[in-house]
Amino acid sequence: MQRSNTYIIIFSAVLTIILGGMLSLASVGLKPAQDKQIELDTKKKILGAVMDISNIKDPNEILSLYDQKVTSIVVDAEGNTVEADAKGNKIVAEKVSVQKNYRLDKSERLYPVYMFKNESGKTEAYVFPMFGAGLWDWISGYIALDGDLNTIRGIAFDHKQETPGLGARITSQEIQGRYVGKTIFEAGELVSVSMVKGEGNAGLTDHQVDGMSGATMTGKGVNRMLEEYLGCYQPFFDKVKSEGNLALN
Amino acid sequence: MSTETVEVKEKVEKKPAEPLFSKRRRGIVKDPLSDDNPITIQVLGICSALAITIKMEPTIVMSIAVIFVIVFSNLIISLMRNLIPGRVRIIVQLAVIATLVTLVSEVLKAYYYDMYKVLGAFVGLIITNCIVMGRLEAFAMGNKPYDSILDGLGSGFGYAWIIMVVAFFRELFGSGSILNFKIFEAIGWDTFPTNGLMVDSIGAFMVLGVLIWVQRTKTGYVEH
Amino acid sequence: MDIFNIALKATFIDNMIFAYFLGMCSFLAVSKKVSTAFGLGMAVVFVLTITTPVNWLLQEFVLKEGALKWMGASFETVDLTFLQFIMFIAVIASMVQLVEMVIEKFSPALYGSLGIFLPLIAVNCSILGASLFMVQRDYTIAQATAYGFGSGLGWFLAIIALAAIRERLKYSHVPAGLKGLGITMLITGLMGLAFKSFIGIAL
Repeated sequence: MQRSNTYIIIFSAVLTIILGGMLSLASVGLKPAQDKQIELDTKKKILGAVMDISNIKDPNEILSLYDQKVTSIVVDAEGNTVEADAKGNKIVAEKVSVQKNYRLDKSERLYPVYMFKNESGKTEAYVFPMFGAGLWDWISGYIALDGDLNTIRGIAFDHKQETPGLGARITSQEIQGRYVGKTIFEAGELVSVSMVKGEGNAGLTDHQVDGMSGATMTGKGVNRMLEEYLGCYQPFFDKVKSEGNLALN
Repeated sequence: MSTETVEVKEKVEKKPAEPLFSKRRRGIVKDPLSDDNPITIQVLGICSALAITIKMEPTIVMSIAVIFVIVFSNLIISLMRNLIPGRVRIIVQLAVIATLVTLVSEVLKAYYYDMYKVLGAFVGLIITNCIVMGRLEAFAMGNKPYDSILDGLGSGFGYAWIIMVVAFFRELFGSGSILNFKIFEAIGWDTFPTNGLMVDSIGAFMVLGVLIWVQRTKTGYVEH
Repeated sequence: MDIFNIALKATFIDNMIFAYFLGMCSFLAVSKKVSTAFGLGMAVVFVLTITTPVNWLLQEFVLKEGALKWMGASFETVDLTFLQFIMFIAVIASMVQLVEMVIEKFSPALYGSLGIFLPLIAVNCSILGASLFMVQRDYTIAQATAYGFGSGLGWFLAIIALAAIRERLKYSHVPAGLKGLGITMLITGLMGLAFKSFIGIAL
């Protein structure tokens, strides 16, 4: 059917307005639900590093548990607390994108710190986010340290597309459980924890975990990530240790 | 395809009061399920389908999304079929599909965030799923809305059952589970050797290749 | 170096066909003869190299949250990501049209060999796929261009190789039900297996 150009232009304009309007409505209408999902996702991961939350199904329960137990701050590379950005806007730790900060120079990044309190309000564990490169794409994680900032209490990894069945095993309980109880300091020196090559190794030290067979590259990525981020948080560790927990409430 | 469209039109004109589930209409739904399956016979829509068939759960979500998009885009285009200027019809079709796909993606993000993360860019790729475009061009542009909905349902389910079967085998042999339920562990076979090839893209090609073989042998369709 | 790596990775390791199944429809439909496969392959490389950076600019300066900053401070929080799909596909469709017109005007010879394939490309999943992946991976514009080019090249290699095999396949005895699509799927699987050997290469 041949139609005039005017008709085509009017038709396109009307269609564009209708479709655009529909999409805008949907986007605005669904925004609160989406934001809540993203928030829930972050908070689940943070809590997941410290404790087992797999049997809590209700999202609201997780959010209220988080509000009850976790307080957060953001520190810079020197370990000083940062509360507002250059324009004076408040910085919220949960909203800081570790992925975006990863692209900046280490000294310019913002580092969120999550503190897990026990009933009496004392900090029982610290959770630090990490980000790095795996074999194919990014890997990320949250590491939870006990109040002594030395013993690993739990760890939760995530990845974009490590090889299924090989590198992707870092998200399994089996691998993550291997980190629990290991320590990151040796006689006051930060040594991190590294995954060794191969699986089924005997005689591992306090700073080594067994590797994943067939996924040496992913393991190396995990080691690099842990080393880099623990190094970045070291000024904060020192500060906490010298000032004591009370200074941070 | 074009000859079929013409035939259908003539019939409708002769018998305006056609029953809701006439033989012809049942055919519109039934043919794509087997004899004229979009994937195994027409070779369409393989693009975005195979990448998400590693497990059954994302496959089901993807199937629902595709059925939704195909049915509603068929309906919308069919309603507008006499208004759409011929010269810009491809872009109009794409715009309608893209809008529907965006809706699906936004809803997933709001209510099923875990799945949104798993499917990632592949939801967006429904836009270029050849089945959707193909049905709009071949059917909805020349048929009434109700028939178009039936056609969309037929093609959508024809697509869905094939990728579901592929996902079933890939998850069973690749991860040793069905819908995340560890089936082999449940029957006491803890040492079931999962096959890495199945989780990989290669497994998808192989499973689909064999599936096409079986399906074509059954329907007797031979490509020359 | 980084750019070279991204292109190489997109070509061999993250091959559009073997790793992501993108552009399968035309891959299967137009791979019966090497000469036509060559034409379509070239057109895909061409269009991918152009659309990926164009969509990058669109994403960076219009769509993503805060992208409209250049229009004034009040636009700083505008997030148009929900228009991403529709904008990308519109850009691809119009770029294809534009490329077609430009080629027709300046190089009738090239138009003769590529022209008929260009309209097919707007609905080739690999074109839209490359743009969506490029956004997910946070590339810079140079990286995005390299990625687009590499993906196109990978697709080109895959379709040429398959077409060559299928030309030979005509003389083989294939079971009736497996003829055509069935055997092509199995061959694609085996080719994918060969491409897997690039995985070990650390870039």
